Amino acid sequence: MSAALELRGLAKRYGSFVAVEGADLAVERGSFLTLLGPSGSGKTTILMMIAGFTEPSAGQLLLDGQDITALPPEKRAFGMVFQGYALFPHMSVAENIAFPLRVRGQGRAERDEKLRAALDLVQLTGFADRLPKQLSGGQQQRVALARALVFDPALLLLDEPLSALDKKLRAELQEELRALHRRVGRTFINVTHDQEEALSLSDEVAILNHGRIIQKGAPAALYERPRSRFVADFLGKSNFFQGVVRELGGGWLGVQVAGLRLRQVVDGPRPGLGAAVLLSLRPEKIAALGAEESADNIVEGVISAWSYLGAGFSLAVETALGVLRVHLPAWRAPFVPEIGAALRLGWAADAPTLVDDDDAA
Amino acid sequence: MEGGYSPGRFGRALGWATALYLVLPLFIILPVSMTDQRFLSLPHEGLSLRHYAALFASGEWFASIAQSFWIACASTILAVSAGTLFAIAAWRINRRATELLRALMLLPLIVPSIVYAIGLYRYFGWWDLLDRFAGVVIAHGVTGIPYVVITVSTALASFDVRLEQAARGMGASLRQVLAWVILPRIMPGIVSGAIFAFIHSWDELVIVLFIASRDVFTLPRRIWDGINENQDPIMAAVAMLLIVFTTLLLVVDLAVRRRRDG
Ligand SMILES: Nc1ncnc2c1ncn2[C@@H]1O[C@H](COP(=O)(O)OP(=O)(O)OP(=O)(O)O)[C@@H](O)[C@H]1O
Ligand SMILES: [Mg+2]
Repeated sequence: MSAALELRGLAKRYGSFVAVEGADLAVERGSFLTLLGPSGSGKTTILMMIAGFTEPSAGQLLLDGQDITALPPEKRAFGMVFQGYALFPHMSVAENIAFPLRVRGQGRAERDEKLRAALDLVQLTGFADRLPKQLSGGQQQRVALARALVFDPALLLLDEPLSALDKKLRAELQEELRALHRRVGRTFINVTHDQEEALSLSDEVAILNHGRIIQKGAPAALYERPRSRFVADFLGKSNFFQGVVRELGGGWLGVQVAGLRLRQVVDGPRPGLGAAVLLSLRPEKIAALGAEESADNIVEGVISAWSYLGAGFSLAVETALGVLRVHLPAWRAPFVPEIGAALRLGWAADAPTLVDDDDAA
Repeated sequence: MEGGYSPGRFGRALGWATALYLVLPLFIILPVSMTDQRFLSLPHEGLSLRHYAALFASGEWFASIAQSFWIACASTILAVSAGTLFAIAAWRINRRATELLRALMLLPLIVPSIVYAIGLYRYFGWWDLLDRFAGVVIAHGVTGIPYVVITVSTALASFDVRLEQAARGMGASLRQVLAWVILPRIMPGIVSGAIFAFIHSWDELVIVLFIASRDVFTLPRRIWDGINENQDPIMAAVAMLLIVFTTLLLVVDLAVRRRRDG
């Protein structure tokens, strides 16, 4: 059975240092939540409080509505994949995976059956008798996963399970992890500082900075509608424009940015005339316009740097708004870029988002 | 050490000289034990095994060897249980107070054994433990604890605490964590500690001189008496046997370490 988990004002202080401050979070049954944040933002601390290894300074932890804040880790028995896996070096793959079953005093036959199923699940049949040190990084990671899943835990906790792997293997295992989540239907809580991993794996992402959950939501919602500069910058790349509201229309604003008037759609609360605002514009939402083409916002510029990325080009374009970062898909770029070439750029009035300037890097 | 820097000619010579210096006394014992004379000396006319034969025929020497062996076994068990439990507790609690306790546990290594022996003599007199098997076992067991504390603490220092967390997270009780995760990982340290504690008891003389007299007459004590009273070469034969036995133990220790590291 899968479980719903709720964090209520969960906090951890070390002396006067606040590692996690008042985290509120509800994790739905069977969903895949990722905690994403830069190094030292408190991700591991939150996970360790959920697992029961770190005692919270304040707040509550509820599993299916029951308060488990004071329960020791062996009573919670959540599956956990540690950073670096923490496989028992003196036990074979089979012994490692069967460990939680042995702890529960299950019989030989039952154990063997579950072990076989678990080895199957992570495609390691035939590796049962090896020691952890005789496995590759990816295989070790799969043993750790099998060991965490074999006893049907209510919740699976993963602390940067893929961070030690190279890029290609990481991509492969991300696929596997997602498929695994679909197959077993458990609640997964994953920790990472890799934003691509967070976007591609999760049903929901919570973004942390300095021990605080800054924003949470579905990956697409977070990417498309970041509420603050930090989120927009951490989750993907963005161009930022500092401006002042000079015009109020029906559902749109006229924003003055460095001598240019930009047309901007707003759907949330509207800032008043004269208010200072910050716009965030994704590089891939900027188009290179042909001579006859038009757009809500148009700016002229000169290419100051470019690079080829295979699927497209990444350009730095000098404009009246400052240097704009632009991504063009290769098949739509109307030219081969060249430093010094002039370019007309345009974007729709609903492409940028208004964000809070939390001024965090 | 594959791939390390190889030592220069001078370094190599120095190394061999040191090793030779360390083992030279041992090599003197061998010919002395095979002397054809009736007192401790190098062989004059030829080699002879008669002192070995005499040793094996002598009931006294054998009684001492057996007694030493059983005392060493019992005191090793005492030292290993107490030392291992203490090291694990100190490692888990890890406060400033445990640092102090750890220093206390190492005291028998630092205090000269003669001082220790005098103290023990007093207490054992009150408790009626003088010249008793149990008395010597307690004395050797307690003074053997530091060896175990040192080797087990060293093994624990390299123990990854996440292994313990992982085991607990999977539902293991404290006892299961100890038996299945912590003890197997630090077993080489425990075995090393046991071997040192055993050797410590096996060749301990000073304390025994104070707290034992007639009923308990260990091997080192008999050698000591033999040297003082007559210059019987049988002692060299005994010494040879001791060397062989100790070397065997150290080889076992090495093998255990090799298995852990390999
Ligand atoms: N035992 C501790 N004592 C004092 N401070 C601690 C302790 N454990 C963690 N911290 C601090 O709490 C903060 C959050 O740590 P945490 O390990 O949760 O970060 P993280 O988000 O997991 O980072 P990373 O991505 O580097 O793993 C850090 O600033 C860290 O220095
Ligand atoms: Mg961490």
